[in-house]
Amino acid sequence: MPDNWGFVAAAYGLTAAVLLMYWRRLARRERDLDTLRRRRP
Amino acid sequence: MVKTLGWLAGAGLLVGLIMAFGVAPREVTQGNVQRIMYVHVPLILASYVAFGVLAIASVVYLARRHPAADRVAHASGEVGVLFVGLGIATGSIWGKPTWGTWWTWDARLTSVAILFVMYLGYLLLRGTIDDPERAARYCAVLGIVAALDIPLVHFSVYWWRTLHQPPSLMKPGGFTGSTSILWPLLINLLAFVLLYAYFVARRVRLLRSEAEVTA
Repeated sequence: MPDNWGFVAAAYGLTAAVLLMYWRRLARRERDLDTLRRRRP
Repeated sequence: MVKTLGWLAGAGLLVGLIMAFGVAPREVTQGNVQRIMYVHVPLILASYVAFGVLAIASVVYLARRHPAADRVAHASGEVGVLFVGLGIATGSIWGKPTWGTWWTWDARLTSVAILFVMYLGYLLLRGTIDDPERAARYCAVLGIVAALDIPLVHFSVYWWRTLHQPPSLMKPGGFTGSTSILWPLLINLLAFVLLYAYFVARRVRLLRSEAEVTA
């Protein structure tokens, strides 16, 4: 059976991209909340 | 603590990647495409952990009505949906070259699709109820009921004739393959469980901060 490296790259690439996006989303929301907290009297 | 978890998860994923491509052998029948297993199986098993933690936290919430238990359930559900979604996607990518199809409605794939939709519904339910106490109560009940699908997903390959192969790790008699396959799989499983714990810890902290800001 051929190795199908393209499918391997797609599976690992998709996983890395989605996990990285989620990590960045958490970081962005933390930053937004910090900014909001600092602005409050 | 959260930062340490993050570093441990990152290091685990790096070692897991090296093990999956540098230590694990090329599988005889499927060739190198079988290396998708080292990301697909840990994602699915870590999602079982996520939904198990969600169910336990839901029981604790219903018993004690403590908001911390609800926050753990909420965070665990979100990360679990992310992991099981990725598990389905990587399984589909693996299925195309090995089975000749991206998707088939066999018992394992159908039960895991139901699992994904149920927990997606769990997250949507949270967003549709304005009263936080009522949302937490309804979601706790749904979280416990949805967890009943986990054994159905796992044992579906034994109870019905499926295209999906039987479990690699959690099966009667234990793992029967080579240790050069087992270790990369176990290291990746540990790495994804650590990543789950890291994401949940950060998400719980975020939910607590959000509650403080909106109070």
